[in-house]
Amino acid sequence: MEHELWFTALLNQLLAGPVTGLLNLLGLPPESPAHPIPNYIAMQVLVAGIIMVLLAIVRSRLSVDRPGKLQQGMELLVEGLGSQAEEIIGHGGRQFLPVLVTLGMFIFLSNVLGVIPTFETPTDQIYVTAGCALAALVYYHYWGFRHHGVFGYIRTFMGPMMAISWLMLPIETVSHLARGLSLSVRLWANMVAGHNISLIFMALVPLAVPVVFEGLHIFVGLLQAYIFVLLTMVYLAGAVSEEH
Amino acid sequence: MKKLFWCLAGLAFIAIGTPLFAQEPETVQTVVATNWVAITSGFAMAIASSFCGLAQGKAAAAAAEGMARNPGATAAIRLALILGLAFIESLALYTFVIIFIKVV
Repeated sequence: MEHELWFTALLNQLLAGPVTGLLNLLGLPPESPAHPIPNYIAMQVLVAGIIMVLLAIVRSRLSVDRPGKLQQGMELLVEGLGSQAEEIIGHGGRQFLPVLVTLGMFIFLSNVLGVIPTFETPTDQIYVTAGCALAALVYYHYWGFRHHGVFGYIRTFMGPMMAISWLMLPIETVSHLARGLSLSVRLWANMVAGHNISLIFMALVPLAVPVVFEGLHIFVGLLQAYIFVLLTMVYLAGAVSEEH
Repeated sequence: MKKLFWCLAGLAFIAIGTPLFAQEPETVQTVVATNWVAITSGFAMAIASSFCGLAQGKAAAAAAEGMARNPGATAAIRLALILGLAFIESLALYTFVIIFIKVV
C-alpha cells in the first residue's frame, strides 16, 4: 500500500466506515476496508475545503469603500477572467464565469499543493485531471444543447453541407473526444514531469537546487490552470457561437 | 558543408572505432540484455523536445515580431501565442506520457 499522508489518515479515521459502506453498496469494495480513501481524493477534499474557507472569508469581509487585500486579489482574478471571457466568447461570456473561476482556482491550488511539505499534488493522478476535463466537456456540451436546442446542436456537428454530414459527424465526434483527452493528459503530464525533474535534481544536488525547480513548478501550475480555463472558454465559444 | 562532412566522419569513426578499442582486452564476454526501451525512449524524448522547441521558437518569434510591428494588437497576439504554445507543447507531452507508461 502507498504511503498515507496525515490528512488522508485523518479522513480515513473519521470516514472509513461510511465510505466503505457506500463503496460496498455500489459494488466496488475497496482493497483495504480500514483505508478506503486514497491520497489524491483526500487532497482534492482539502483543496475544495481551502476554496470554500477562502471564499467564506472574502464574503464575510466584503466592503465597497474599504476592500481588503484578499478581496482585491479575488476581484483582480474575476475581472481578468471576465474580460478574457468577453473577448473570446463575445457578449454574454460573463455568465460562464462561476464555473470557469472555480475550475481555475481548483486546478491552480491542486497544482501547487504539492509544494507544501506533507502534502501531495492531486493533479499528478490521471483520474483527477480526467475528472476536471470531463467536467469542462460536459459543461460546454450542456451549454451547446441549451443554446441551439438538441437538434440544432447536433446539426452544428454535421458541417455546412448536408451531403457530407455522414462524414463530418464521426470526425467531429472524435475531435470532441480528443479535446477531453488532450485537456487531461496535458495537465497530468506537466505535473508528473515537474515532480520528476525536482526528484532527479534532488538526487543530483540535494541542496538548494531543487528549490529553483519548485519555483518553476509553481509557475507551470499557474500557467496550466490558465491554459485549462482558456481552452474551456474557447470550446464554450465554439459551442455557443451563432454562425454555421 | 565540408565542416558537416568532417563532423559526421569523426562521429562515424568514433562509432565504428569504439568497439575495436573495447575488444582489445580479451576478457570473457558476459551477455547483458540491453534495455532497448530506455535507450529508445531517451531518443524519442530528445527528438520530440527538440522539434517542439523549434516549433515553439518559431511561434514565439512570429508573435514577438507581430507585437513589435503592431503594439495595439498585443492582447490578441498573446492569446493566440499561449494557445499555440499549449498545443505544440502537448505533442511533446504525449511522447513523454507514452515513455512514462512504457518505462515505469
